[in-house]
Amino acid sequence: MAEVSTAGSGVGARVRRKEDDRLLRGRGRFVGDIALVGMKELAFVRSPVAHATITGIGIPEEHRGAVFTWADLAAGGVKPIRAVSGLPGFKVSEQPALADGKVRFVGEPVAVCVAASRAEAEDIAASVFVDYAELPVNSDMLEAVKPGAPKVHDHWPDNVFLETNVGGTIAEIAATAPVKVSRTIRTARQCMVPLEGKGVVVHWDRHVEQLVLTTSTQMPHIVRAGLSECLDLDQGLIRVVAPDVGGGFGWKGLLQPEEVVAAWIAMRLDRPVRWTEDRREHLVAAANAREHHYEITAYADERGRLLGVEADAWVDAGAYSVYPFSACLEAAQVGSILPGPYDFAHYRCRTFSVCTNKPPIVPYRGVARTGVCFAMEQMIDAVADAVGREPWQVRLENLVPPEKMPFDNVTRKHFDSGDYPESVRRAVAAIGLDGWRARQKAGEPDGRLIGVGFATCCEQSAHGTAVYHGWGIPMVPGHEQAQARITPDGGLELRVGVQSHGQSMETTFAQVAHEVLGIPLEKIKLVHGDTGLTPYSTGTWGSRSMVMAGGAVATACRTLAERLCRIGAHLMQAAGPEAVVLKDGAVTAGGAAVTVREIAHTWYRAPQLLPADVDRGGLEVTAGYKPGSDHGTFSYATHAVAVAVDPEIGQVEILDYVVVEDAGTMVNPMVVDGQIYGGVAQGVGTALYERMPYDAEGQPLASTFMDYLIPGFTEVPHVRIIHMLTPSPYTEFGVKGIGEGGAIAPPAALCNAINDALKPLGVIVTNAPMTPEVILSAIAGQRGTA
Amino acid sequence: MSAHAKTISLTVNGTRVEATVPPRQHLGDFLRERELLTGTHLGCEHGVCGACTILIDGEPARSCITFAVACDGRSVTTVEGLDDDPLAAELREAFSAEHGLQCGFCTPGMLVAARDVVLRCPDADNRAIRTAMSGNLCRCTGYVGIVNAIRRVIDARNTNAG
Repeated sequence: MAEVSTAGSGVGARVRRKEDDRLLRGRGRFVGDIALVGMKELAFVRSPVAHATITGIGIPEEHRGAVFTWADLAAGGVKPIRAVSGLPGFKVSEQPALADGKVRFVGEPVAVCVAASRAEAEDIAASVFVDYAELPVNSDMLEAVKPGAPKVHDHWPDNVFLETNVGGTIAEIAATAPVKVSRTIRTARQCMVPLEGKGVVVHWDRHVEQLVLTTSTQMPHIVRAGLSECLDLDQGLIRVVAPDVGGGFGWKGLLQPEEVVAAWIAMRLDRPVRWTEDRREHLVAAANAREHHYEITAYADERGRLLGVEADAWVDAGAYSVYPFSACLEAAQVGSILPGPYDFAHYRCRTFSVCTNKPPIVPYRGVARTGVCFAMEQMIDAVADAVGREPWQVRLENLVPPEKMPFDNVTRKHFDSGDYPESVRRAVAAIGLDGWRARQKAGEPDGRLIGVGFATCCEQSAHGTAVYHGWGIPMVPGHEQAQARITPDGGLELRVGVQSHGQSMETTFAQVAHEVLGIPLEKIKLVHGDTGLTPYSTGTWGSRSMVMAGGAVATACRTLAERLCRIGAHLMQAAGPEAVVLKDGAVTAGGAAVTVREIAHTWYRAPQLLPADVDRGGLEVTAGYKPGSDHGTFSYATHAVAVAVDPEIGQVEILDYVVVEDAGTMVNPMVVDGQIYGGVAQGVGTALYERMPYDAEGQPLASTFMDYLIPGFTEVPHVRIIHMLTPSPYTEFGVKGIGEGGAIAPPAALCNAINDALKPLGVIVTNAPMTPEVILSAIAGQRGTA
Repeated sequence: MSAHAKTISLTVNGTRVEATVPPRQHLGDFLRERELLTGTHLGCEHGVCGACTILIDGEPARSCITFAVACDGRSVTTVEGLDDDPLAAELREAFSAEHGLQCGFCTPGMLVAARDVVLRCPDADNRAIRTAMSGNLCRCTGYVGIVNAIRRVIDARNTNAG
């Protein structure tokens, strides 16, 4: 268990956030809050059809010069976005920032309009007349892979970005296993819906001769790399800045076509320009996450011990491959992580990244794990049902036990630490399973059906070099760097290339630095999310920032500590650096002490007092860091939920929700809790509400918050969290990434709870979201066959 | 500027403002673009998410579905105008203590709505708080921290009053 103290304000302390005050006073600075002198606004003409050839673009005479198309960008040397994977067989799509003769999804940008205000730019957009010759549409991934389906990319032989095959044959197990259960499972296409849409302000800084792109991104350095490729501009001529960013969840982890367009327009017109994604643009053009389909079979013995799992999985990857994650990361990840936290020996999984006439898929919080967990955890319950045991008992039967840690699973994922079965036992106790079972037996006076569901998941975070090298995509995480600088007045500046958009890094990285240097939090300043001011980083994704950049901050601060001790020892005429200690912001030797502030003063203002052999690097350090394992860390959790299902109207009420979570050492437990609460809320959305429906012509059927439902105050439960604290053996302080886990297990736990409730009716639901309509049709289907 | 622009006179955060605005401009854009009060955030521009909630003559309203021209003669208060409001100060303290905000984008609207809930429902339990706040959406916090923050303010007020 963790050795770190929870007192004070270092690692483990529940301290309030440094970023709160400005945000609580409306003094944050989001992209939409930035206005530059002479700035123009952009509005996009977007395709109203899912698949068509553009036969003409009519620009009214009075707006010539204010409307630009791909022909203009291409003549200016702009290249399409190319996000290639090195995995064998990957088919390359090219995504022009504005459609090049063909549109492939509803909402695809076709032309851009420039005006003094957004309203006027939208007026111009409404006057642009585009002729479309409509083509047959792929609106469903299972149809799109069939022979004869219309091709999204004409020169491809089919509509599959990539097929992967993991594992070997399990025919022998399939032939002999006493228990065999199969399911068809599906998750819906979703929008990520950060409350702030995307936005970008671009100008050419004449003084430093740089294109300055201020954008709501999670990965400024990667956006810079992608822009450089598309604009054929040296990276040194581009600065990408992320200001306050209003939530991301993955949607802000890509190079956007609109960013490329805005950058080019700013250079072409030599004027600052701004584009702000409105909610309708987001819901229509960015419905880009989570759509999975599984045909899955589990084999087990009579006790429910898993003997093998085999699956075919399809992921609807949309029309193009996004930069940098590519179109295949999600489906290929399904193949490697479907086994979840379980220990079994035989496995086969085939995956397809399917190209359709929908927006390109982008990794959403949890990436493939939410779908994978939804599938695998349904199978655990199905096995339990088949062998007549409680689902939690079958989980205990199959989870990797603590004595096997660290553990390499069937797909060679290296689980670092933890007691997975204990998380189940604690969840069973905390939800009060016996009480619910008694209530189930007694029946509800209102006729509703009670159900309890569990789901266990693990969350790989801080992904390493080898796996991403294997993907062969435009981004491979290596050593993460941080800069730490003692200021002349004894404060500390930290500079990191990751980006905080709600994760509280201004506070938590300061806590890490405080733990090492003892400098008070209020004197520590984090600079982040700016290619001009920070070391290179692949950015904030994959629950990596605390492990990677936090580790780098600690490493840099340790070097600073050594240098402070050396100077401090000299100033106190101590025997040497080994004769002093750095504690509470001062270097001490016996009764003598010299503060960090005094040492800083010496370095900057009184260098004549420094020792002759002082480190010439001074009080500024750039340090690189990688965890001890290239496989990253594995946090894990068991979610338990009790529901009441109304069989007459199909409505689900969540009666209690418990998360037992092991995030390793927590730098700030309050922040960890916040990540879990927020993740669960999104998971509840995935489970019960969120779905972007498409008709057969590829038309999205939701475009407002009245028809795309995200959970609100009355839909999300007052979640209870129980922490386990097993440090990772591979990271600074034993921390593990935790940003996504909350969003992974809820659909699975809720599905299992609903099916537990529906058990007396002899029906199951297997698709998310589990809306009243889905539940009622399951019940009606059974009644129809009865 | 549109030929149909109208001149209006209103009070914004206690200061008299005269402005000529196009009839189609909503109050949120007016406050942000013209008054540079960017604390009012636009999350949906169709009146559902609540991020743009402000006070008009002391009552919460969605600035994204209120036309600026309709505010002639009215008094508008934004989050910036609550700097010295004692109840807003209690809420800011509680939101920070309970981690009631992460990215902070929905927060200005949450504070304005929460202030109204504390005044309107001084005895609200958690369920009543959730119902009263259900016109505001947050995508980060899962609402627990926000409910706890409002609960903290209501409890403190009741303790002090008792």
